Amino acid sequence: MSHSVLICDDAIFMRTMLGDILQQAGFDVVGEAETGSQAVEKYRELRPDLVTMDIVMPDMGGIDAVREITKLDPMAKVLMCSAMGQQALVVEAIQAGAKDFVVKPFQPSRVLEAVQRVLG
Amino acid sequence: MKDPARYAELFLTESRDNLVAVNEALLRLERDPTDGDALDAAFRAVHTIKGMAGVMGYAAVADLAHDMEALLAGARDEHRGLRNDDPSLLLEATDALESAIEASVAGRAGDVDVHSICGRLRGWATATHAVPATVGEFLLPPGEGLAVTVTLARDTPLRGARAMLVLQRAKMLGDVVSVVPDERALAEEHFETTFAFRLRSDASQERIADTLRLAGFIESVRVARDARASDTPRPEVDRIDSAWATGALKAPLQRYVRIDLRRLDGLMNLMGELVIARGRLEQALAPHTDPVLQDAAGAVGRLIGDMQTGILQSRMVPVWQVFDRFPRVVRDAARSLGKELEFSIEGREIELDRALLDQIGDPLVHLLRNAIDHGIEQPHERVEKGKPSAGRLTLSAARDRSAVVIRVTDDGRGIDRNLMLARGKAEGVIDPVRTDLSDEDLLKVIARPGFSTAERVTTLSGRGVGVDAVVSRVRTIGGSVELRTALGQGTSITVRLPVTLAIIQALLARVGDETYALPLTHVRETLQLSPAVVKRVRGTNVLVLRDEVLPLLSLRQIVNLPARDAEGSQVVVLEVADRRAGLVVDQLRGQQEIVVKPIDGARGAASCFSGATILGDGVPALILEATSLL
Repeated sequence: MSHSVLICDDAIFMRTMLGDILQQAGFDVVGEAETGSQAVEKYRELRPDLVTMDIVMPDMGGIDAVREITKLDPMAKVLMCSAMGQQALVVEAIQAGAKDFVVKPFQPSRVLEAVQRVLG
Repeated sequence: MKDPARYAELFLTESRDNLVAVNEALLRLERDPTDGDALDAAFRAVHTIKGMAGVMGYAAVADLAHDMEALLAGARDEHRGLRNDDPSLLLEATDALESAIEASVAGRAGDVDVHSICGRLRGWATATHAVPATVGEFLLPPGEGLAVTVTLARDTPLRGARAMLVLQRAKMLGDVVSVVPDERALAEEHFETTFAFRLRSDASQERIADTLRLAGFIESVRVARDARASDTPRPEVDRIDSAWATGALKAPLQRYVRIDLRRLDGLMNLMGELVIARGRLEQALAPHTDPVLQDAAGAVGRLIGDMQTGILQSRMVPVWQVFDRFPRVVRDAARSLGKELEFSIEGREIELDRALLDQIGDPLVHLLRNAIDHGIEQPHERVEKGKPSAGRLTLSAARDRSAVVIRVTDDGRGIDRNLMLARGKAEGVIDPVRTDLSDEDLLKVIARPGFSTAERVTTLSGRGVGVDAVVSRVRTIGGSVELRTALGQGTSITVRLPVTLAIIQALLARVGDETYALPLTHVRETLQLSPAVVKRVRGTNVLVLRDEVLPLLSLRQIVNLPARDAEGSQVVVLEVADRRAGLVVDQLRGQQEIVVKPIDGARGAASCFSGATILGDGVPALILEATSLL
């Protein structure tokens, strides 16, 4: 059975791109979220195997979302999507429970490697 | 320590690179004290020196680096940038650091006293800010648990965050104690690629390594039971070896091998002799028609050619290796003269033979200082003339066919031709009937030994060694100097250098029993000397060549041999820029690749030789410098 993925990003462009990369690799994109609070809601509802999480999102940011999701499910597997220069935020996300991160601009191979590491 | 000298040398080379980086960053900070990137760059370089010095046990170096780092860290962490006087103090400290490093490596650590400068740095640094002491950052304090050393891949994005992931994974296996550098420093990426920590865990060493590797971007993980955990201080041997093992010192060796230039010179000499031997072999084989023999000889010839190219390339280094110390020199010079300056370097990556680059450093410093001292005006003067108050000074390097062209350009006051015309006439360099000066003549005037335009002698450049020293040095290494100047607009001095001085094509000429080499770059053609081409004009012989009348020189006369019957003599037509002359020689011996060995001519000796070579038969020959004859 293919792994289910929830993609969280406020930009449609990024959601589409990540979705394409993951779908082509055989993942099942079960949901998308545009804000941190949506991400938490969708996680509660869908219980995906993997979450990709943008750091900067309106409403609730990615880091708070990771914190909430980890509270819901300590085993949640969240992959952060970061830009260069956001090191401090990524470190914070890791401390909040994120399992790995990828740095934009996304290279499909890097994204998939990170996903594999997270799903272990 | 297997070979202490080797580590010391590695330390020295890397420290020098880092010192260049510190200087460069501080100069940027001097212009903009809030430049965060420059602050980070300075911090990183100082931090690296501190770490290495700690490993080497150079306490004075490590102490000074630590205090410099504290000042930089204070400025950075409080997001306030440096204060106005900080860059100057730090530049001074950098000089002290350089001396401390050189002295420590030379085994004169006892001579180094950094107390005074350290005290001033500490007085300056904010009292509230404390830098975690990370001297010997690859040295884990003795303690419980396994010693884990992790090296991240060089291309790891956000290394700090990646290191955090590694620690996170380690924490799933047990207790992480004593992380070096500490967790905060790791998260802020104050490390290169390697960090270490102790892990108290029941998991096997293999499982730990495997788990940590899954954190991604891992170059290596080393998990070791700590056999050395004891309270007694470890001997230095272990410290060095552990630094070596963690990869802290290993990294540069993976891609580069540093070679003593003398070895390359030796190889080059052998290569030269091989090229000559090839020439003799080709001559000897010429009468043979055996295709197998010809084929084999051809293959050997091509391989020797490829090898020659390879060795020549191995001697090439980018000019930044010398250029990068100039911003500091320029800054100091401009400061001491109260001038404002924007200095830029172009073409840093252009490559030049190492030996040439070493030779050209001092002359370039001289040209830069001259430009600042005599070219660039005082700020108020510039403003009055409608120029920006800061002068522009550019040092550029570019490749032009088989030459490298290095140019120093300023937008200063330029050189007054009328003044120089008068000077030139007074000194007898310029024909009294002349009413104007070409750029070439101008160079002749200012390149006279002892010439100085400065009305007063500054400590900077007007000390009697002037453009003449530059010109003669450049000529010795087979280059040429050109000057362009426009009054009120600036001056540019162009130094044209061969890419390598090691091997050139030359025409061999004989007079008497002696052989001389004429670089082919300056030979236009050769012809038989006959009454038809020689005319006598106003008591001297001239060469008439297709309607052109050229001066006729005699090599015999130049090298003080008695004249002889001109019967059978040859003429070599030399050409430099648009000047030509005929040179009479007894006989031509053909064209050959020669290996140039520079000579230091005795002062006052004939300056028309730029070097010497040894021919295939073991006979030495002097290389005639055409530029000096025309």
